[in-house]
Amino acid sequence: MTPPPPEAVAAMIRPAPRRPDSRINRDILSVMEGASLGYWVLLASAVLMVHVAGAIWIYQVYEGLGIAGYVHPVFWGVYIVTFVFWVGIAHAGTLISAILYLFRAKWRNAINRSAEAMTVFAVLTAAQFLGIHVGRIWKSYFILPYPNQRALWVNFKSPLLWDTFAISTYATISAVFLYIGMIPDLAIARDRAVGWRKVLYGALALGWQGTSRHWKAHTRSVLHLSGLATPLVLSVHSVVSWDFAMALVPGWHTTIFGPYFVAGAIFSGFAMVLTMMIPVRRIFGLEEYITDYHLENMSRFLLLTSIIVGYAYASEYFMAWYSGVEAEQTSFWMRAFGPYWISTWIMILCNAVFPQILWFKRVRTHVPTLFVLSVLVNVGMWFERYVIIITGLSREYNPSTWGIYTPSWYELGILAGSFAFFSMFFLVFLKLFPVIAIAEMKELAIHEKAHRQGGAH
Amino acid sequence: MPTLLGVYERPDQVAEVATRLRARGYTDLETYSPAPFAEVDDAVDEKPSRVRVFTLIGGLTGVVTGYAMTIWMANDWPIMLGGKPFSSIPPYTIIGFELTILFGGLLTVLGLFLVGGLPSLHRDKAYSPRFSAEEFGVAVRCQDRDVSEVDALLRGHGAEEVSLVEA
Repeated sequence: MTPPPPEAVAAMIRPAPRRPDSRINRDILSVMEGASLGYWVLLASAVLMVHVAGAIWIYQVYEGLGIAGYVHPVFWGVYIVTFVFWVGIAHAGTLISAILYLFRAKWRNAINRSAEAMTVFAVLTAAQFLGIHVGRIWKSYFILPYPNQRALWVNFKSPLLWDTFAISTYATISAVFLYIGMIPDLAIARDRAVGWRKVLYGALALGWQGTSRHWKAHTRSVLHLSGLATPLVLSVHSVVSWDFAMALVPGWHTTIFGPYFVAGAIFSGFAMVLTMMIPVRRIFGLEEYITDYHLENMSRFLLLTSIIVGYAYASEYFMAWYSGVEAEQTSFWMRAFGPYWISTWIMILCNAVFPQILWFKRVRTHVPTLFVLSVLVNVGMWFERYVIIITGLSREYNPSTWGIYTPSWYELGILAGSFAFFSMFFLVFLKLFPVIAIAEMKELAIHEKAHRQGGAH
Repeated sequence: MPTLLGVYERPDQVAEVATRLRARGYTDLETYSPAPFAEVDDAVDEKPSRVRVFTLIGGLTGVVTGYAMTIWMANDWPIMLGGKPFSSIPPYTIIGFELTILFGGLLTVLGLFLVGGLPSLHRDKAYSPRFSAEEFGVAVRCQDRDVSEVDALLRGHGAEEVSLVEA
């Protein structure tokens, strides 16, 4: 064949008229643009609170753990409670991105990115408490197995070591998951950004062009990471629960702890996603992407896990009674009617009773109610860990060593700081990275379009 | 060599035209998609991605490292703890499991980088931000004499436009 005449080639080279950009791109990238006064106020107060908590921590390093409310025999207090709480929050993200991915639940696409980001930030927050809780922070690296002059190795039979490995693996894998999933979206942002953002997204997008080679390796990697992360999600909170279950403390030493903690973690994680995403969706007008359908599905998860958690509460009481072990029975009697009865009833009401209203579709689709409920669940789940840890320790086998622990103001300040720490990262994330997985939303939109046009699909 | 770029709206068109082009012997082609579509990726290369080899190697390395590290450390400086054997398999399984996931995950990322050719400083001439909007592209490198045939093939499968990106 002969090459086409030169004028035809010239016509081919002529740039095509500029087409409008994808609406999904515009809608989701617009979240990152400009920041209102309200945003800066929120961010500034979060940063301030983090500094206040940091100052408290420095004071604690100077003064010692005596500033916490520890009373013999309770030496695990708010710090450990809050650690377990944040590790629990971290579970929704990987559940949504890994398990729901393997189940091909397409509704996850709207919420997976924000949930994954929350996972990373929640693990990061939880990890701070490992350092805050230890008495001598300058020796905290003793937990790591490294060759040292003492020629000593760590004790791998201790649940605390399992915890170290579980948490650091979880932090690494969830950060990898978040980043790998975001590469295509970073390329979208790179193609549209100017100035320093173009440099940032250009570097982070790694030269992504969406070629078949890129996508093929990417989808396969995401599949494998999901396969690896699925058992990981279920294992992490099980390992955390063994920190307690492996001890002989009444109320702790039970085999139900693994599934009980995992269900609780997913419960609190979904509640946190709802707490954060309901305002985000409202403020940035993302109702078209995060629809009432998504909120309803999340609230179904809340209901399911609430029932599992409620069942676990009931079975704990049953086992305490049925076992005939006096210490166990006393411990559970004390939970409900002893000095910590308020915490126990907050836990039971918020986690097992209030969520039952989700049986009604009217409630599942009523956004303000869902928001309030999700906050209550977060409160309830914090108290659940408080009840398990504190009541167990304060009433051990020997009545002469019983003690009552009350959190000190320093501990509560650091607890508040942890929420600020988490919010600070989330607020920065909102303005720097796409809060909804754009490529995955497009996958759905393009499939739909192809169906409408009657493509061979 | 000239490169022609066809722009499409639907993934099935891209899959068809890629299959057709390869059947006609134009194997030097590249597709650009705004989202993952298995039919497009398989039309260009039907072999499953080699990332899986990396995951497997990572996972196996992890489990071996986990057990080897714990057993060796417990025996290197033997301290009797709770009367349990130095080489206690049940607790070490947890470390073995976690390291399987950790190494498997990290090697999957390495696999993504090596198999997918990332990170890369190269930018294709045919690439444009429209492919990170909602359009698809098929770029074909061919001999001068084949330009009009490729052009016809690209248009024949419903290309919105065909352009010569490299003369």
